[in-house]
Amino acid sequence: MALNFFDQFMSPTYMGIPLMALALTLPWLLYPTPTTRWLNNRLLTLQSWFINRFTQQLLMPLNVGGHKWALMLTSLMMFLFTINLLGLLPYTFTPTTQLSLNMGLAVPLWLATVIIGMRNQPTAALGHLLPEGTPALLIPVLIIIETISLFIRPLALGVRLTANLTAGHLLIQLIATAVYVLLPMMTTVALLTATVLFLLTLLEVAVAMIQAYVFVLLLSLYLQENV
Amino acid sequence: MCRTSQSHVMTRLRFNEISRYFFAILVSLWRRVQIGRTGTRTTAIHCTGCTNSDMLSRLVFVSASALKSSGPLGAGLVQASRCLHTSPQTLAPVPPLPEEGGKTRHGIIPEEIFQFLYPKTGVTGPYMLGTGLLLYMLSKEIYVINHETFAAACIGIVIIYGTKKFGPSVAAFADKLNEDKVAKAQEVKDLATRSLTEAIQEEEKEQWRVEGRGALFDAKRNNVQMLLETNHRERLHMVTNEVKKRLDYQISLQNLHRRMQQEHLVDWVEKSVIKSITPQQEKESIAKCITDLKLLAKTTQAKATA
Repeated sequence: MALNFFDQFMSPTYMGIPLMALALTLPWLLYPTPTTRWLNNRLLTLQSWFINRFTQQLLMPLNVGGHKWALMLTSLMMFLFTINLLGLLPYTFTPTTQLSLNMGLAVPLWLATVIIGMRNQPTAALGHLLPEGTPALLIPVLIIIETISLFIRPLALGVRLTANLTAGHLLIQLIATAVYVLLPMMTTVALLTATVLFLLTLLEVAVAMIQAYVFVLLLSLYLQENV
Repeated sequence: MCRTSQSHVMTRLRFNEISRYFFAILVSLWRRVQIGRTGTRTTAIHCTGCTNSDMLSRLVFVSASALKSSGPLGAGLVQASRCLHTSPQTLAPVPPLPEEGGKTRHGIIPEEIFQFLYPKTGVTGPYMLGTGLLLYMLSKEIYVINHETFAAACIGIVIIYGTKKFGPSVAAFADKLNEDKVAKAQEVKDLATRSLTEAIQEEEKEQWRVEGRGALFDAKRNNVQMLLETNHRERLHMVTNEVKKRLDYQISLQNLHRRMQQEHLVDWVEKSVIKSITPQQEKESIAKCITDLKLLAKTTQAKATA
């Protein structure tokens, strides 16, 4: 079956049954449930260690009100991390390449932070619209600019994740196609391109992890401003 | 993943319990209908204490167990699958974790497949199976080599290289995390043991010290006795000295008396003698003295000239 470049970004269906729910929930099976044992096997020890360290690191700059978001942010991180990394395997579908999913994650979470800020401390939340030490003439302009930047945030969050992953996957496909096509024709060039592909794969692994982290980090920053 | 507790629940549900659950569900539904009619909040609170999802989940269990206990398959289904259980179906005592993970060949394929195929196909059996399967899929174009193959190769290399390079260190790190946990608890235990042993030793030392206390008291007693003895002897010396002094005084007094008596007597005798010397006797003695002297002078003169 010939693959279109954009087939990988189509929402998977099987005989008309959408498989998106499976694509989103099956990665959960990769993580073992914590047991009641004191000493666990290596996988569970590493998983617990990683989750604990990550949560500690993420919540360090937040005050106590922000600690309510610990579960949300850590589980979001694990979700995006896993889905991004699993998407690098061949013939897999990456749900985070869908703008709808990413906007669906970004907009409610961002809006939650804004509403929390406006509700609990409206002066401080509005005060963020004017950075300290601006000259008096620039105040109106700056407020407009900061408001625009505030509303761009969910768009940026969602599109950043989508664009990074989509671009990465597309690049992998393109360069892999180049290798495939060049292999019988110009083998040396194909090998060079294969090196490029290898390096790109490494980059994509890094990008997958970093983008997940950046998403969650930015959300925690927005929360920090507002809580 | 311990899902066994649920199967226990399912096997133990009996008919009266099933009917009780159905009745409870019906009652809750009836109550909600009533709340909808009257709109009071108080009964709503009582009902939402036992939440809707609770009832619904029980409904699921009930229907599953109802299926299991009724019908042609019935209870035999649960018993039949018992031979497939590999773990003990109890939660206590906690079964120990295996030391090593499952054995695999080439990192992915479980050793059990090789053991399974060994009796019929020997050592090369699984490899033949793998190669044959791969070639079959390639030749029949069930799997088409396309650009994804190269992408798969790349990510495969990355994964294999990563596992080989960082696997042992990550495993060692995980083991170290567990060991640190054990070491911390062990440290507490060791500290307690050490402090108790030290306390025992201190106690024994104190007991030994108590034994030595008798010797200490003896020494002290001896000391005191010696002091008393010395004091006593000093006083004796003093006494003797004083007595001697007194006696010496008496002796010297007596000696003085006697001497005085003697001298007095001598004086008296001399006086009386001097008194008794007549003038004539004096003249005679002086003449004798002069003649003696002359004689002496002559002799010496004679000696000198000779």
